[in-house]
Amino acid sequence: MPPAQGLRQQLSSPLRDFLLVYNRMTELCFRHCVCNLNYRLLDGPRGDESCLDSCAARLVRANHRLMGAYVGLVPALLQRRAAEHGAPAGPSGPPASPEPAPGPAEPSEGAPAAGT
Amino acid sequence: MDPLRAQQLAAELEVEMMADMYNRMTQACHRKCVPPFYKESELSKGECVCLDRCVAKYLEVHERMGKKLTELSLQDEELLKRMQQGSGTA
Repeated sequence: MPPAQGLRQQLSSPLRDFLLVYNRMTELCFRHCVCNLNYRLLDGPRGDESCLDSCAARLVRANHRLMGAYVGLVPALLQRRAAEHGAPAGPSGPPASPEPAPGPAEPSEGAPAAGT
Repeated sequence: MDPLRAQQLAAELEVEMMADMYNRMTQACHRKCVPPFYKESELSKGECVCLDRCVAKYLEVHERMGKKLTELSLQDEELLKRMQQGSGTA
């Protein structure tokens, strides 16, 4: 059922990305903040919990910034690539121009999906 | 899209994510608790206890991260709404 699979990928891909980011964040913050395995519970006095909270907030903000930078740089990259591919055919490069327009719309769709 | 199909997809996604989390947890706890000295094949009692605690802590961290992410994404949504309202009235 190719149409159903395509629909599945379309619907679950942002959520899937978000969940993968969630898992990666958990691993990173665990690795960095949880060092003392002499006790079963998280160590409040030693700052495990505050470390985890700051780690989460930091990673989310870093992710946002990365996304912003990526979204800013990708249209120019795609334009350059299109120009390289279009150059042997001759000077007919208008298809590259509509690309920057949907650019600002992408962060609002991508932001809640990939990591928030 | 019918709700049954959506439920099925959600369940499949959850299974996939749990498997991914399990793999990462295994890697992290192995790194923390099992030193790379392979002279003996048996795990010491300390290493066993360490692994137990590591799993418990990892799951707790996973839950805590989930709550924190939800909180942060709700804050972001509120900000976006406020910005949209502000630009709408202006």
